[in-house]
Amino acid sequence: MGFGGRMKKGKIEMLAIFFLLTCLLLLFTLFFHHHYMLTSVVFLTLTFIPFFIRFEKKNGSGRELVVLAILAAVASVSRIPFASIPSVQPMTFVIIMTGAVFGIESGFVVGALSAIVSNFFLYQGPWTVWQMYAWGLVGILAGLLKQTFFIETAIGRVIFGIVTGFLFSWIMNIWVVLTMVQNFSIEQVLVFYASSFPFDLSHALSNAFFLLVFAKRWISILTRFQKKYGLLE
Amino acid sequence: MAMLETKQLSFTYPDQKQPALDNVSLSVEPGEFVILCGQSGSGKSTLLRLIKREIAPHGKKEGDLFYKGQPLEKTPPLKVSKKIGFVFQDPENQIVMDQVFDELIFGMQNIGMETDEMRKRIAEITHFFGIHHLLKKETHVLSGGQMQMINLASILLMEPEILLLDEPTAHLDPIAAKDFLHIVGRMNREFGMTVIMVEHRLEDVLSFADRLIVLEEGRILKDGPVRQVINQLSDEKNHTFSYLPAPVQLYFHYSTNKQVEEIPLTIREGKKWVQQLNVRLREIPKKSVSRKQTIYSLENVDFRYEKRGDNILKACHLSVQEGEWLAIVGANGTGKSTLLKVMAGILRPQRGWVKVNGKMLRGTIPEIGYVPQNPKLLFSSDTIYEELSNQIPINNRDKGRKKLTELITFFNLESLLNRHPYDISGGEMQKVAIASVLLSSPKILLLDEPTRGLDPTAKRELGTLLKKLQEQNMTIVTITHDIEYAASFADRCAMMFQGAITVQSPTEEFFKGNHFYTTMINRMTRGSNVPEVITVEEAKEKWDLEEE
Amino acid sequence: MDYGFRNYHPLTNFIYYIFTFLLIMLSQHPFFLFFTAIFMIFLNYLLDRGRQLRRWGKFVITLIFLFIIITPLINHRGSIILFYVLDKPITFEAILQGVINALTLFSVVALFFTFSFVINGEKLLFLFSKYFPNWALLTMLSVRFVPLFKRRLEEIRRVQQTKGDAHERSIKRRLKHGLLLIQILLTWSLEDGIQTADSMAARGYGLRKRSRYIRYKIEKKDMVLIILMSYFTGISIWGWFLGDNILTIFPILEPYFLQGREWFFFTNFIFLIGLPLLIEGKDAFKWLCWKRNN
Repeated sequence: MGFGGRMKKGKIEMLAIFFLLTCLLLLFTLFFHHHYMLTSVVFLTLTFIPFFIRFEKKNGSGRELVVLAILAAVASVSRIPFASIPSVQPMTFVIIMTGAVFGIESGFVVGALSAIVSNFFLYQGPWTVWQMYAWGLVGILAGLLKQTFFIETAIGRVIFGIVTGFLFSWIMNIWVVLTMVQNFSIEQVLVFYASSFPFDLSHALSNAFFLLVFAKRWISILTRFQKKYGLLE
Repeated sequence: MAMLETKQLSFTYPDQKQPALDNVSLSVEPGEFVILCGQSGSGKSTLLRLIKREIAPHGKKEGDLFYKGQPLEKTPPLKVSKKIGFVFQDPENQIVMDQVFDELIFGMQNIGMETDEMRKRIAEITHFFGIHHLLKKETHVLSGGQMQMINLASILLMEPEILLLDEPTAHLDPIAAKDFLHIVGRMNREFGMTVIMVEHRLEDVLSFADRLIVLEEGRILKDGPVRQVINQLSDEKNHTFSYLPAPVQLYFHYSTNKQVEEIPLTIREGKKWVQQLNVRLREIPKKSVSRKQTIYSLENVDFRYEKRGDNILKACHLSVQEGEWLAIVGANGTGKSTLLKVMAGILRPQRGWVKVNGKMLRGTIPEIGYVPQNPKLLFSSDTIYEELSNQIPINNRDKGRKKLTELITFFNLESLLNRHPYDISGGEMQKVAIASVLLSSPKILLLDEPTRGLDPTAKRELGTLLKKLQEQNMTIVTITHDIEYAASFADRCAMMFQGAITVQSPTEEFFKGNHFYTTMINRMTRGSNVPEVITVEEAKEKWDLEEE
Repeated sequence: MDYGFRNYHPLTNFIYYIFTFLLIMLSQHPFFLFFTAIFMIFLNYLLDRGRQLRRWGKFVITLIFLFIIITPLINHRGSIILFYVLDKPITFEAILQGVINALTLFSVVALFFTFSFVINGEKLLFLFSKYFPNWALLTMLSVRFVPLFKRRLEEIRRVQQTKGDAHERSIKRRLKHGLLLIQILLTWSLEDGIQTADSMAARGYGLRKRSRYIRYKIEKKDMVLIILMSYFTGISIWGWFLGDNILTIFPILEPYFLQGREWFFFTNFIFLIGLPLLIEGKDAFKWLCWKRNN
């Protein structure tokens, strides 16, 4: 949001930060063999700080703040109608739509915020931070790919939906593995991922389905609103 | 020096030719209580928002606004923010925070107040409002009236000099509305706060107010002391007449010797005046009431939302005759909305049964059309035309299209068809919602609080349209807080109390039998030397004035 | 709940949780973890009579057994072979590893149950509002919308029922219908949200830096507790550094019962974990004395 002329620069900056941090994460995991959990928590905190500060330093208007809050709250309650269908929830979809219309930063903010808010009424714990990271990343990706093949075309959306669906689930799996399993071996990790695969697949497919069927409508709703109130442009 | 002044103020919204405000000049003295009224679209909200700079609409503005003799634009933002307070119409949407306490301190935090000062002010306001019991609550559990009180308190904590209120009671039930207006009246009387309020419900505020301003099409139509302006509106043929409270209307119709000071603003004044009248009851042939068939019957209905929750409906009995208009009245939280949802088949009762035309009701059926309190939750399309055509039943396209054209004419919606359902006024939204429900050709129409937030003109229009539908043999059931509305339109009224219907009888009998829960005209004429009536229309029908 | 551990400054509480979480992750020793688990059960019972724990009990117990069973089935390292399953050795070490994992899992989950009792949302936001006021405000706003949206969603669901499509069985239809409800909620709420934003602006939002309402003050007792916790944690980390807080399993299993210096670190560790229990106990005792004297 509020990128305007700095759009390009902002995009590159964000990409660079993200790339750098992902490399760091991999390096850390490879070299500091034993204290995965510790490193990853430290790492996650470090990743967040630039994004957090970026938003913190902005003097957004009340309207912008309210719109972001509403999107995150909608995302958090969006799983209610699907409570009876296991591991189907449109939170990822809502976050993607935010990124695709309002851009990278709004995507990140709503992604991270949805995680905080949906845990607010349950239990906060280290998993909140991981969810913030995972959904924030999904929001950023959607913002990056705004108005490209992946958002504009049906095939693109299906691909994007499946990829982000798995991305989210797999990041959350990493947290479970890191926290709960000490001294793990590759086989153990694989077994774990295999056992969660049906759930992850169902999340990814439903995500792709929502994007395929509803994305156009949602983008038009959000864009109308953005224009009507001159927001987050 | 005037507290607030506008000089030749005009305002035009972008993409509009007609100005929303046209050459408005007025000056408000410190401590004045001013009521602004006028039809929706007359520019009253625009005027109020222009005074509150932070929420002023975008568009072309001409003319000047002065705050204490200083141009408003040049007053420091922090100062005007504190000194001019604004209360909005919708109690729930204005709330920003999850906790009542946080909501109260929200404004003070924005202007950078220290903790100790905030604590002190909260302590004061809590005493003044008597809201200790609400401080530790979450905002979403409050009732509409409590929410609006918290909104007012939160603004008063910033210690404003001018209080602007934009139809603050439109969403409240009559009791909560009175409580709210009472507090505003106290702020004015006891603290000399300047108040400018947009309000349709004149009956409750006229006695507090000093001055009444009527706006029409962006211009000031009338401006002056309350009684004088009312006197100028006394022409019954003019549509502004419908703004006047019922006792005033009765006064203008029957008073032989009209005097400005005598215009009754309260029931007490009305009673005094009525004593002077000499009225003979006109002989009216009793309308033969044909026994109609019962279309709806509820027997022993119990309903609760949660397994271990309280019963919202308790052994509720009700019957509705075919082709009648039944109004269900009662205070908030007595289960009216729940009852209507049970009647619509949206909620299934845990005990008892609902029969429609002798058949058990299980789930929703096309014969019943239900219009919720907030029509927004029906809308899912970008234009009204699309919204309506999506509602055409799939099994009968051609007939449905014909019906759609009829309904568009009936409700006068032609000019709105390409608009977004959210961009139209409340009255129009209500009409679209009813039209969309009528597309499936129901025999019974259930309306939840259809007049909420409508101005008197829109209310009357809606009432007339519904009456027309009724003539086409539609059965209508409405829930309403609006006693005057029920008295003017419904054939029968039922009172809801603690989850059951306590009384149900024909409208006239119903209100004449009530002592407190009855219309103003009834309260005015009861126990006086004139025949008891419940509405101005009834009086016109039955009263013959005898010349002295 | 103005007594016991919860009566301390949220920062003090927060520090306890960070330190405890850290030490649970570091101390991979069944003896340490077993006592942690016991203490966590006690703490849960003291704070909410274990209601939360019981509600999730089945789930947690299943997970624990899964860990204990699955770990040895996958992990075949170790020298003490107990028996064979499908020609694969089941080792004592692997079972021990499973137990450690299960205890860690249980302790973390139970710890964070108590976290939500001790540091509720409001306290958490208070903590973060100091450094991230924008985020804190944004979170509060969003949290405020959730109950409202839940109610709206329920209303929308009920009313949309009247329009048919309510009893659709196929997954595709259900997904479509469900998201349509969310879509109506979104449009409605965005439009109404403008009023919320106006109400913020009308109360001077964005004119200057917001002040913070200081609900909690750090008192002497908080300082004392923070210093104590830091001391215990410092010592524990030293113990971890020396390897005394960890049971080495692979390649060679060290004796699993505590010995010598390990006792010192264990006592120290248990003091940190048990601090809230001590405080709750102390306050309960004080109350009893007060009641008796009245």
